Amino acid sequence: MAESALQARRELDPLPLIEGRHDDGTLNKTLLDYVWQRPQPGWLTLFFIGMGGTGLLLAGIAVTLAKGIGMWGNNIPVAWAFGIINFVWWIGIGHAGTLISAILLLFQQKWRTSINRFAEAMTLFAVMQAGLFPVLHLGRPWFAYWLFPYPSTNSIWPQFKSPLMWDVFAVSTYFTTSLLFWYLGLIPDLASLRDASAKRSTRFIYGVFAIGWRGSARHWHHYKIAYLLLAGLATPLVLSVHTIVSWDFALSILPGWHTTIFPPYFVAGAVFSGFAMVLTLMVPARRFLKLKHVITLRHLEAMSKVMLLTGLIVAYGYLMEHFIAWYSGDEFESHVFFQTRARGPYRGIYYLMIFCNIVVPQSFWFPWARRNVFYLWIASVLINVGMWCERFVIVVTSLHQDFIPANWAMYYPTWVDFSLLFGTIAFFGTLFLLFLKYLPAVAATELKELRHELEHEWLEGAKR
Amino acid sequence: MDERSLPDANLPPFEGGRSLLLGGAAAGAAGLLLTLIGGFIAPKAALYSYLIAFDYWLGLSLGALALVMAHNVAGARWNVVIRRLGETIAAAVPLFIVLFVPLLLGARYVWIWIDPPQELAKETLRLLQYKKPYLNFNFFLARAVIYFVVWSALALLLRAWSVRQDESGEALLTRRQRKLSAPGLVLLILTATFASFDWLMSLQPAWFSTIFGLYVFTGGFVGSLALLCLIVTGLRSGDSALGKIISADHQHNLGKLLLAFVCFWAYMAFSQYMLIWAGNLPDEVTWIVARSRGVWRPVGILILLGHFLVPFFLLLSRDLKRSRQGLAAVAAWMLVIHYIDLYWIVMPASSLDGLGLHWTHLTAFIGVGGASVAAAVFLLRGVRPLPVRDPYLEDSLRYVQP
Repeated sequence: MAESALQARRELDPLPLIEGRHDDGTLNKTLLDYVWQRPQPGWLTLFFIGMGGTGLLLAGIAVTLAKGIGMWGNNIPVAWAFGIINFVWWIGIGHAGTLISAILLLFQQKWRTSINRFAEAMTLFAVMQAGLFPVLHLGRPWFAYWLFPYPSTNSIWPQFKSPLMWDVFAVSTYFTTSLLFWYLGLIPDLASLRDASAKRSTRFIYGVFAIGWRGSARHWHHYKIAYLLLAGLATPLVLSVHTIVSWDFALSILPGWHTTIFPPYFVAGAVFSGFAMVLTLMVPARRFLKLKHVITLRHLEAMSKVMLLTGLIVAYGYLMEHFIAWYSGDEFESHVFFQTRARGPYRGIYYLMIFCNIVVPQSFWFPWARRNVFYLWIASVLINVGMWCERFVIVVTSLHQDFIPANWAMYYPTWVDFSLLFGTIAFFGTLFLLFLKYLPAVAATELKELRHELEHEWLEGAKR
Repeated sequence: MDERSLPDANLPPFEGGRSLLLGGAAAGAAGLLLTLIGGFIAPKAALYSYLIAFDYWLGLSLGALALVMAHNVAGARWNVVIRRLGETIAAAVPLFIVLFVPLLLGARYVWIWIDPPQELAKETLRLLQYKKPYLNFNFFLARAVIYFVVWSALALLLRAWSVRQDESGEALLTRRQRKLSAPGLVLLILTATFASFDWLMSLQPAWFSTIFGLYVFTGGFVGSLALLCLIVTGLRSGDSALGKIISADHQHNLGKLLLAFVCFWAYMAFSQYMLIWAGNLPDEVTWIVARSRGVWRPVGILILLGHFLVPFFLLLSRDLKRSRQGLAAVAAWMLVIHYIDLYWIVMPASSLDGLGLHWTHLTAFIGVGGASVAAAVFLLRGVRPLPVRDPYLEDSLRYVQP
């Protein structure tokens, strides 16, 4: 390569993916060894807070089951409220994991390697929270299996025409594929943990889950094929899930819900909030687990760029909705967007949504914002708040003022609604803490491979 | 890594394509002239033909512009050897400023809202009156000026910086291309959306769909990917110097992008169709009703099969994406079906009989197409056929599928 090209590359090359010089031994030590250490006091404190919050969740569920969903604030005309808002919010958060692990793999993006394990775990835990809400909203969750089409003596079949039914299939397929994908990626690392175990008991447990992995060429060959196939399968699945979630609304004819941009705009919003959640969790985790050498500023910067992109798509969705609401000449559409949402009783949430989802991500145009870890963390929390507000605005404002003014009524959530929302956040956090304690949060095997590749590239460059 | 020798990529400025340039210019002139004659005989039919041809070829240019900018923003390296082709196709955009004039002159034959006939239903007239702040000729013209300024500025600047780098090799020029491309994409998507509203959606001024802009733009993007596939497979089959540099791995990536965006197009089309069909509201559903009854029904089914199902299953094959003839055949078909898709969007709005077939469809297509091809070849002559001093050229030359 010409000297001028090398010079140009030195100016242009992005920040490093792995900081410092490492070999397989030091990577093993830094990425796997903390599994063996005793829990830190900070971890224990957070864990007990999380358990306490999970108690709140259990209390909310118990009250819901004992007294019925009348304990929630939703009632006609706002028959759907926190239940579906929280469902959509959690499901959306889950999407980032699949995007990072599957779509970025197909795009051959190397920076995904340090964060994919982490994000996939987040996906699984988020989908678990999401699943709770529609099941509880069934009223009689012990009949949840009626949702599946099976020939029963009741002769009751699910309503296949309803997108809520499609949700059942989409979400359960998505969860299964995500679980398999996550587990498949874990197998080589579980084998490493098994081999490094000092105690018989841990060696046995990690050994069972490593299902006999020996790292032979044959194993790797099959592993690579399976991984790529699952990535190819997960990609359309992740798009389909939030597409179908958007159809829960768009298939109706309610103003503010029935619009054709909903599918891509919901998918983008899901990825947007998911990346924000990954950042919210990762910024503290990389500090306390001492992972700054593998989750570098380059990763944080790349993630902020994805948030900027998806945030802009969400803004495009808002623009189209508002423009067409006027352009269509439909007075109900205009009313929803320019009266109910912008000037109605819930306008505070509407403007908070605009601020968090449109204004905040614009700061990511500038490198200082993308590289300031503290700022990024604040912004990521705000984006999560904004995306929750978006679902609130969509669900509640469209319902509380519909076609006939005589139907209009306000919606107020109850303490049960709030304890379910905050309870799932705590439960999610608890699961995540357990994951951080017992499993490697970074895909160590993939990272070793990446280190090899990068070193090779570096040697190639040095030779020239 | 194996020590395979890299091909010599320092190609001299391109001097070929003379026959393509002259042929394109001649076909363009002849086609445009014949369409003009057609316009005097049957103004409405000729203008509708011309509108489809205009949107078709313009969409290919804008799609190429979007692809170049997306690669710049992402800091892509594999695409360097084919980037000049995309930049050239995109830089043909200013030609469409001139080609837009006939549409302006005949606007009242095409867009009913410009001069609504008084025999329309009273509700429709009232609706058009309501939409007047947006749908009026002066604002329409002003918007078109903005669109063309944005597109031309983006395409010409990106090409100019890239060409300048062939001499200097400065890193600054790469950085400029990246910096312009990020806001450039935002501007491109916004302008292309409103252009599709202005030129295509307002053909039926009572109808609306929030996804329409993305649907039309994605159609053009798929078309431009197909065009690039066709050019790349053609180059690799011939004995040009560039064709020897572009490898099966580069072609494979273009094939994968084509597969992905065939799916993405279907996603857009299905989202629009299914939601409107299920909602079944009179304001919206008329657009679909007009396009799924009578003669338009088989056309719609053809689009479903030909724009999605068949190419989707074909493009899944790795061997096909790496085969020159195979990918070329699918890409050529995509360019045909993309025209049919635009035809299906535009013609049912014309209230002409049946499919509205008219000989000017052929002349307009050849006219606008010949002129665009000639413009692109003209832009390519005298410059290097690939960015020879791009800092990441070597990465692109070394690129292999993982």
